[in-house]
Parts: sequence; C-alpha cells; structure tokens
Amino acid sequence: MSHRYVQLALRLVVAAILLPVGYSKLAGTPMDIMLFERLGMEPKGRIIIGLLEIIAALLMLSPQAASGALIAVGIMFGAIIAHSTVLGVDVGDGGRHVAMLALVLVSSAVVLFVRRHDLPIIGKTLGRSGKPEP
Amino acid sequence: MHCIADGSLAVRRWTRVLRTEVSDRPQAQGVRHVETRLSINLDRVAKIANAGALLALAGSGLLGYFVSFYFHFLTVFLLLLNALNFYWRHIQTTHTLLSNFGFMAQLRYVIESLGPEFRQYLYSSDNEERPFSRNERTEVYRKAKGIDSSAAFGTQLDLESGHQILLRHSFFPASTDELESFRVSFGEERELPTMHTIDRPVMISGMSFGALGSHAVRALARGAKKSGIPMNTGEGGYPKYHLMEGADLIFQIGTAKFGVRHEDGRLDEPKLAELAAKDQIVMVEIKLSQGAKPGKGGLLPKEKLSEEIAELRGVPMGQDVVSPPRHLECVDEATTVAFIRRVQEVAGLPVGIKFCLGRDVELRGLVREMKRQGIFPDFMTVDGAEGGTGAAPRSFMDGLGLPLLEALAQVQAVLQEDNARDRLKLVASGKLIDARRQLVAMSMGADACYTARGFMLALGCIQALQCNQNTCPVGITTHNRRLQHGLDIEAKSMRVANYVAGLCHNHRELLAATGKTSASQLDRGNLFLPGMHRGAAP
Repeated sequence: MSHRYVQLALRLVVAAILLPVGYSKLAGTPMDIMLFERLGMEPKGRIIIGLLEIIAALLMLSPQAASGALIAVGIMFGAIIAHSTVLGVDVGDGGRHVAMLALVLVSSAVVLFVRRHDLPIIGKTLGRSGKPEP
Repeated sequence: MHCIADGSLAVRRWTRVLRTEVSDRPQAQGVRHVETRLSINLDRVAKIANAGALLALAGSGLLGYFVSFYFHFLTVFLLLLNALNFYWRHIQTTHTLLSNFGFMAQLRYVIESLGPEFRQYLYSSDNEERPFSRNERTEVYRKAKGIDSSAAFGTQLDLESGHQILLRHSFFPASTDELESFRVSFGEERELPTMHTIDRPVMISGMSFGALGSHAVRALARGAKKSGIPMNTGEGGYPKYHLMEGADLIFQIGTAKFGVRHEDGRLDEPKLAELAAKDQIVMVEIKLSQGAKPGKGGLLPKEKLSEEIAELRGVPMGQDVVSPPRHLECVDEATTVAFIRRVQEVAGLPVGIKFCLGRDVELRGLVREMKRQGIFPDFMTVDGAEGGTGAAPRSFMDGLGLPLLEALAQVQAVLQEDNARDRLKLVASGKLIDARRQLVAMSMGADACYTARGFMLALGCIQALQCNQNTCPVGITTHNRRLQHGLDIEAKSMRVANYVAGLCHNHRELLAATGKTSASQLDRGNLFLPGMHRGAAP
C-alpha cells in the first residue's frame, strides 16, 4: 500500500515541476529564450518542448501515467544532452536547472519502471506483470 | 520460425526460398511432397535492424552536435529504442522472439493482435465464422430491425455434403391460418395453481446481471415484457435489474445459490420463498450443469466484478467468482430428487432442472429415482455442449458434454423408456438462434426453446468474443459506463420484441410447410439427419 502512495507522490512531483516549467517555456521567459537561443531552437523548439512537458505532466495525473513518464524521461534525456554538449551545468542559476532535471528524471524513471506494463503495445513484453500470460 | 510475414515480401538477399518436405498430409500419405515458399530471412533483417539502430543513434548524435540541435529529438528516440532493444535481447527471458531478434519481432505481436479484426472484417467468408457465421448473425439482425430477410440465388450452405440437418416439408403444406396457436403449460402435470403457460415457443435463456451489464439486462427484460415471453435470470443473485421492467421471470438457482444462499452454501428456504412469492417470478430453474462448461460451476472474472454485483451475490471483491461444480445438497440420485422436491415445496411454482447431458446411464438412474419417489421436475432444460457462456475454460467449451440434438434424442429415449415423458416438459437450449434450429430441436422432442445469444445478437452483439473481459464494444457484457452508453434500453428492447416476432413468424411458416398444424405434432420424421441420405425418413 505504501508503495502506491510513493508512486503517487512521485507522479505529483513530476507534474508539479513540469507544468510550470512547460508553461514558462510557452510564455517565453527571458531565461528560456536565452537557453533555446544558445541551442539554436528559438522559438519552435521551445514551444515543442513546452507542449511536450505539459502533455507529460497531464498524462502523469491520468491513468496513462506510464506514457507520461516515458515522455518525461525522453525530455530529460534531451535536456541532459543539451546541458552536457552546449549549455553546461551552471546556466546562470547556480545549477538549479540541472538539479530539477535530475529530480524529474529519477522520479519519472521510477514511475515508468513500476507502471511499465501499462505502456501501449510494448507493455506486455516488459517482464513479469503479475498476471499470468494468456 | 519465420514469423513476420511468410513469403509475402520479396526483398533481395533478405528473403530466402524455403523448401519444406511435407509428408504428413493426410491425403498424400507416403508421398513426398515438396512445398516451396518464399520467406523473409528474419535473422538477417533483424541483425541489420539492430546494428542499424545503434549506428543511427551515433549518427543522429553527431548531426545534433554539428548541424542542428533538432536532430536530438531523433537521438532521444533512438536512445530509448536501443535501451529497450538491449533489454529485450539480453535481459528478459520470457519472449523468445524478442530475445533472438530484438525490436523487429514486435511487428509480430502488433500484427497478431490485429488478426481477429482482420479475419472478421476482411478474410472470413459469410458461412465460416464460429460460433455464428456472418449469415446467421445477419439473419438475427434483420429480424431485430424488422427488415425483409429474403436472399438471392440459392443457398450458400453445402447441402450436397449431406452433413446438414434439414427439415422435411410435406406434399401437402398447411396454410398458416390452419395452425393451432402455440401453447405449453409448465406445471400442468402436477395441476399446480401457479402453472405457467407460454404462447410463444422461445424464451430468453439464463444470463445474469454480472455476465451482462445493467443496460443489456433491462433492454432484454423490457423486450420480454413487450413480447410476452419469460426471461431466465441466470445465476446472478437477487435479480434487481431483471425485475425492473415487469417481465415474467424464471429464477435460476446456480450451484452457488446466489440470492438464495445460506451462509453454509446450502439453500436458504425463506429467501427462496420470498423471491418465489413475487408475481413476476413464474418459474424456478435449478441449474445442475451448463453446456459450455459441464462439470464446472459458473465463473465471473474479477474484471467484471463491480461493488454492486459483489453485494448482490454476497462475494468478496478482487477475485474471480467461481461457483462450486455441483449443489452441496445433490450428492447422488436420491438427494438430487429430494432437493428438487424441496425447491418445489418451498417455491410453490413450476420447478425445472437444467443440465448438459454426459452419460445417459446416469440420467436413466435419475429418472428411475424420480419415479421411485414420485417426484418429477416440471421441466427439464437440455443444454447442448455448443451452448454459450460469458467465461469458461476453453478445454471445457471444446471438450465436454453432448451436443444438443444427440442429447435431446437420448433424453427423449430415456424418458420414453420409463414412461416419464408425459410427466414433464422438455426445453432445449444451445445455439437455437433461428426458427430452423428451433424447429429441429422441437422435432427431436423439445416442447419449447431457450436462446441467450440470439437475444444478445438482437441487442447488437457483433461477436467480438470479449464477454469475459469487461470490454464488450457494444456494451452488452460490460459494466463500463462509457461502453454501455450506446446501448439504449428502449431502442434495443424494440429490437428484442421484433426478433421474437420474426422468430414466431418464421416458426409458423416453417411449421406450415411441414404440413403439421401444431408444433407438438413434430417428430423425427420431420428431420433429415446426416447419414440418412440413402434412406427414407424413419
């Protein structure tokens, strides 16, 4: 039972971070615009990532949390690539971005692992699901 | 071995010609037959795909770094794909194909999952599907919608094979005006004041609330009320939704006795008396066994168990509801007959037993015991092994029990042998969805017919075969509110009434063609049975 609450807490954490982050990307704060300019993705890339973050956050709160977690993990992989190749760890905020990134990555990876059987199509091939194979 | 798409794609080098020696063909025993077919060389395709995924990952990483960061969308996707692929190929041990070939093998699962729909919509012929072919289903749909059901050009069945059971018509058909009206009275042998008379040859067979959703139960009950036929409640406990529409009900006592169960699993007499006292409950049926799973109790998968059903049945949530294989009271012939007597006494209504025939010797023993005790059920429902179910193990559906016509013949023979045929009525069930099948059963001795799936088809069943999963796309065998939304109770109850009217119309026309003026005059002489093609009617 406690395991269910931990999972729910992680989903809420991810959604609580990604929703405002995604919104601020869409709104275009100077910080986001600066980062995406450095990546050469301003403004299209910023809007796409912002939308994806909001979709992932909403899915995290729905029964399809597994899909939301998968998208979140994907975005975080992209962010890791960005920080390691272009942006660096400290983007003028003392590493807050990267810390947040790590938190979202770990939380959504745990949710993804726990709920992997809910993924469409591939879910049933991801290890034991508790239900016997038909 | 070569599972993705045998021989349909010809890709150079990635295909190979398979030469298989086939010697186990029944028609060519001993003859060496070489079958040649083209097959995808999955091994090579998969190797290239797996290596390609890694190369593509490296490529898109470089493009992302040197050309445009947008390429990293692809990098992330390929990263996830390669991680999954690694897991499938080197970690998991459950799926052989994924382990051997990696992500390409997923294609097989995707294509396989589409199989049932493709077969039903595109590839199966009109007479091919089971349990009901498209032609048979269409016939019910047309009756239910009140559409003319004439067809053109001749039968599509293979009548020359001699394997079809047919009715024999007469040189001197009756006119439908000359037909006597249909009338069968249950309980008349015991001269019961509560005797129940039906004036249509068909009744709705046992389907519980649980097996069906509430909309379907209410649509059927309302349709039954409209056409004046009784409806069996199934073994689902207190028939809350069945009672709502005012239809005549046959209360079924399953082996778990839901609705009339004492804490120890035995019959709770006051509960039964209370139910039987309701005006709507006109008969009681003790279910001994069911055609689709004889020797096994009812089964409601946990996916379909809602709080409400759990409460109506008095069972815990979260696990399959499995009824015992027999009534606790019935251990041999004597106790079974005693149990029938007890139910008759408590209910004060016509009481029948429903069973699928296994050994005729056992039935003979039971009938002799009935004679000895002087107690007969008011009707026997013979359920064929081809009968339907919401959920049963496939081995039970496919491997146990006698099919309806054989069972009817044996039951009829046993009853006649012991001069007991006139002590009770016989009801037949098992795939009796059209008038032809019903008249065949009546020619084999049945007084009336039950059908369940016929009525499900009338409600709009598309034979999606998901009754055990709570995912019925037409909202009949599901408790999902969204899926039940489309099942409009009033509209579908009209379909039910139309279907009954269509069946009765066909009944009268076919009966008239046989030259008989009443269904009770039908006998085996009206049938052409497989294997009879050189002989005359008996």
